[in-house]
Amino acid sequence: MSFRSQGTTLFAAILALVASAVVVQLWLLTVSMEALLGGHYNTLIPAAAGSTLLLAVNAGLLRYVFRFDRDTHH
Amino acid sequence: MSHETDLTDRAPRPRNPKWRQDFPIEWEGDNYVSRRELVKFLTLGSLLLAAANWVVALASKVLHRGSKVERYIGSAASLESGGSLLFRYPGDADPCIAVRTPDGKLVAYSQVCTHLSCAVVYYPEEKGLFCPCHHGLFNLDGDPVAGPPTRPLPRVRLEQRGDQIYAIGMEM
Repeated sequence: MSFRSQGTTLFAAILALVASAVVVQLWLLTVSMEALLGGHYNTLIPAAAGSTLLLAVNAGLLRYVFRFDRDTHH
Repeated sequence: MSHETDLTDRAPRPRNPKWRQDFPIEWEGDNYVSRRELVKFLTLGSLLLAAANWVVALASKVLHRGSKVERYIGSAASLESGGSLLFRYPGDADPCIAVRTPDGKLVAYSQVCTHLSCAVVYYPEEKGLFCPCHHGLFNLDGDPVAGPPTRPLPRVRLEQRGDQIYAIGMEM
């Protein structure tokens, strides 16, 4: 398998992971909105913390993408 | 034809034309770059979603602060054992119900059913709060015991000062 096709597969996997995390974040936001309107405030901080954790995962994957590009171009 | 246009480009081609500056990606790199751009775009979306979640969480703090007002709801003498009293708390648009349980304890809940927001009423025979719309039933701890509701009723914290009963907060 060539280096380019390996990179393409890797990027497809990263893209799938990031997209899944964003979908979970979207779900967390809708659940939080429903809880806010229903007056159930206890779940809001954990939901926001979970969303931030997923953001950190996404940022880590994006950083990996940048490093991968930098390493392959040098 | 006499008016035929000559479409051939006889001028010398520049080494780095403007279209190449605007679209610098080769065909074989197209998929690769598009995915990388999409990862960047999704991460930006992820940042916005996390920020929106924190905005919602902080908005709840502001709303929750509004539910800590004190309000006089009635006299203890008017609420005999097994009786109920309707009042509004924390705002005038928030119906609540206070119940003196058969064992003399005073409890109060939001009157809004957690299923589809009908008003619950005290049902002494079942020792609970009954929602007539879909036959939901909550016990006197506010927990759903029958029918479609799955979430407990928000509890109103009460304080008795002499003969006067005050609502002093909500427990979600």
